[in-house]
Amino acid sequence: MFVTESMKTDLIAVRPDTPLSEAIILMDKGNFRHLPVVDKKGKLVGIITDRDMRSAKPSSLLGKEEYLKTYEEVMQHTVDEIMTKNPLTIAPYFTLQDSLLVMGKKKVGALPVVDENGFLKGIMSTRDLLRAFVNIMGIGEPGTLLCILVTEKTGQLKKIVDIVTEENVSMGSVLVARDWDDERRAIFPYLLTNNVAGIKQKLIAQGFELLDPMGWYIDQLPKKK
Amino acid sequence: MKTTGFVFDEKYLLHKTFNGHPECGERLTAIIGRLSAEGLLEKLALLKPEPANQRWIEAVHGIRYILNFEEACLWGLPDFEHADNSICRDSYSIAQLAVGGVLKGIDAVMNGEVTNAFCAVRPPGHHAEMGQAMGFCYFNNIAIGARYLQQQYDVEKVCIIDFDVHHGNGTQHLFDTDSSVFYYSIHEHPSFAYPGTGREFETGFSGGEGFTLNSPILPGRGDEAYREKLLGDLVPAFEAFAPDAVLLSAGFDAHENDLMSGTNLTTAGYDFVNDTIMDLVKTHTNGRVISVLEGGYHLETLALLVANHIKKLMDV
Repeated sequence: MFVTESMKTDLIAVRPDTPLSEAIILMDKGNFRHLPVVDKKGKLVGIITDRDMRSAKPSSLLGKEEYLKTYEEVMQHTVDEIMTKNPLTIAPYFTLQDSLLVMGKKKVGALPVVDENGFLKGIMSTRDLLRAFVNIMGIGEPGTLLCILVTEKTGQLKKIVDIVTEENVSMGSVLVARDWDDERRAIFPYLLTNNVAGIKQKLIAQGFELLDPMGWYIDQLPKKK
Repeated sequence: MKTTGFVFDEKYLLHKTFNGHPECGERLTAIIGRLSAEGLLEKLALLKPEPANQRWIEAVHGIRYILNFEEACLWGLPDFEHADNSICRDSYSIAQLAVGGVLKGIDAVMNGEVTNAFCAVRPPGHHAEMGQAMGFCYFNNIAIGARYLQQQYDVEKVCIIDFDVHHGNGTQHLFDTDSSVFYYSIHEHPSFAYPGTGREFETGFSGGEGFTLNSPILPGRGDEAYREKLLGDLVPAFEAFAPDAVLLSAGFDAHENDLMSGTNLTTAGYDFVNDTIMDLVKTHTNGRVISVLEGGYHLETLALLVANHIKKLMDV
């Protein structure tokens, strides 16, 4: 659950005095959008994004000749002139949940992971985060999603887990929608099996309501006025 | 003359799954019971399967995988690669016999002994990948059948229509890049149902682009959605592809009585599936079609739907 397990560690970084012409080749070739900038010792000093690079480039509306001329001039500048200095970073002990919250709140597409001495250890991008959550939710593996409505009282989830366990089925994940309606919660176990008939039967027998997902969906559509 | 072949062998019951497993021998017993009670069995040309030659299984599966499966059965392991895939010591040889059943059905049709055939085989096959057992499936019967048609009978273009409620991931992936096999599947939407593949944007690639077509059905949408998709997706695609032979992955688990899914197709809805497919087959392949059992786990409903399906085959 720590970012160190999901972040990218085979990093390409540049020095502050690297010309933009070199940096742009690295970004294009590696197909990434964030390029960390480190000093000689490997300490993070900044980051350039593809957006920084785009705003440094001449306007695409210029004539071809003028464009190329300006482009060559621009590319002789160095990365420290366009990089974000002292970017937002996270520590290796941050959890995936932390990075989810930080990325959402700060509206950044990637977070450099830096140890207590300021050395760059990795980069956590939205793409890495998405991959990590696909893994956490188990949805990269084949399975079946159940939608169960339960009344709010203790022990409901246990009953469901017991039934799934009795049937010897692995769970990919369980999501809970806490405020489904006034009295009930909705529980969404993702079961890593094709074999759901027995589980459904037992759930119904124990009085659980299986939600018809499309019935719910239709209820949520904006009503015509 | 008996125009419809029926592949079955009591040995298919010897693939024993754990107690309470939905893919059980009783499925076939229920089918045979119903067919004989309705007097249908005697009107069918009974075809006895032989175990498939391994070279046909190797046409789609890796040798390492085949041997691993055999070994798991010989060891007496309870399951193979996933707890869903319950096995016994006989499972390997019965899976060979299931493949052999499909080949037998194909032989009978291609040699003109019958117009079409239904293969009441198990274990089912459409989830089985080149090197991976999944969803009660070990050898991909239908995919092997397609290769057999091409290699043994020089059939050029094969269309596989898969109406099991689950997406046939194995079949799709085996022909992803192949423009000579058109794979069509109608199934419960992958957001909700096993195995989580079969979205509309999966259409094949590198050479096979456009030769895979998926019609996912949202839960509870039943007959109406099936009608819309079959007429809107399958019919034009089938006509454009103009296959030389048709194979069906016939699953009967989309029915409202079957708890394995939530699509809520009715018995009449299944009739529509049958009619639509048989109309296509009549006009394009002279009624020649080999239908292979996949899923269907509510025993009474399964037996009823298979009987209805076979009646439509005999109608041709």
